[in-house]
Amino acid sequence: MVDSLKACVVDRAVAAIDPAEGIAFVSDPGFGGIDVFIGKVRDLNQGRAVQGISYDLFQPLVLSEIDRFAADIQARFGPRLKLYVAHAKGRLAVGEVAVVVAAGSPHRDEAFRACRALIEAVKHRCAIWKQEHYVDGDSQWSEGCSLCHVEPLPAPEHGT
Amino acid sequence: MRTVTLQLFGAFSELDTTAGAGPEGRAGIQINVEGDTVADLRQALRVLLPARWPAFAAGLLDYSAFADSQRILRDPEPLPEDGRVAILPPVSGG
Repeated sequence: MVDSLKACVVDRAVAAIDPAEGIAFVSDPGFGGIDVFIGKVRDLNQGRAVQGISYDLFQPLVLSEIDRFAADIQARFGPRLKLYVAHAKGRLAVGEVAVVVAAGSPHRDEAFRACRALIEAVKHRCAIWKQEHYVDGDSQWSEGCSLCHVEPLPAPEHGT
Repeated sequence: MRTVTLQLFGAFSELDTTAGAGPEGRAGIQINVEGDTVADLRQALRVLLPARWPAFAAGLLDYSAFADSQRILRDPEPLPEDGRVAILPPVSGG
């Protein structure tokens, strides 16, 4: 996965996520299909007006889990796939980019399926937490998905 | 008896940890655990949380997992040698 995966955490205080970087990373002369998912901060959640979101991450665990998910996706939809994930940390305003997932492959079907599988893993399985800040001044951590009973994936074999 | 440094994330990061920040500035608490497994740590927290932070919704513990920096640690597994464990409440990335 060394050359076919890029995963990064972008501190909003330092930079914004650029989807063009993801597209560039998963591009290849042999690839005819690229699928990109862009997740943005929405202004409304469950009827409450949202002003922004703060993301908290356990960065080393997030990166090692994405490594495992990517190896699994490569095994299912590859082998010719390039994958990119960038997730924001810190406080974001409405409309800002929270996450970009991109997948490139020779044909569109594998790109769509790999991109979908990877964003679902990032949303449901990675050590990332979202705290919503509401217009009324209140803040709340999102309820989220429990990791208590998910099946762990084996560690990927590096250097292959 | 061993001491675990618990790194706090998500809702747990709001526990009052003025007694001392964890490694790298991350909020953390020191916990004395009777036993060597993740389940023993969970049990220690089950006692400690309502006693020390009565306003905190301690039921969150039942839905939270534990991890080191590389992977999730299941309840029957031994605690890491370095005593550093992260508590992971339900996740909500993206």
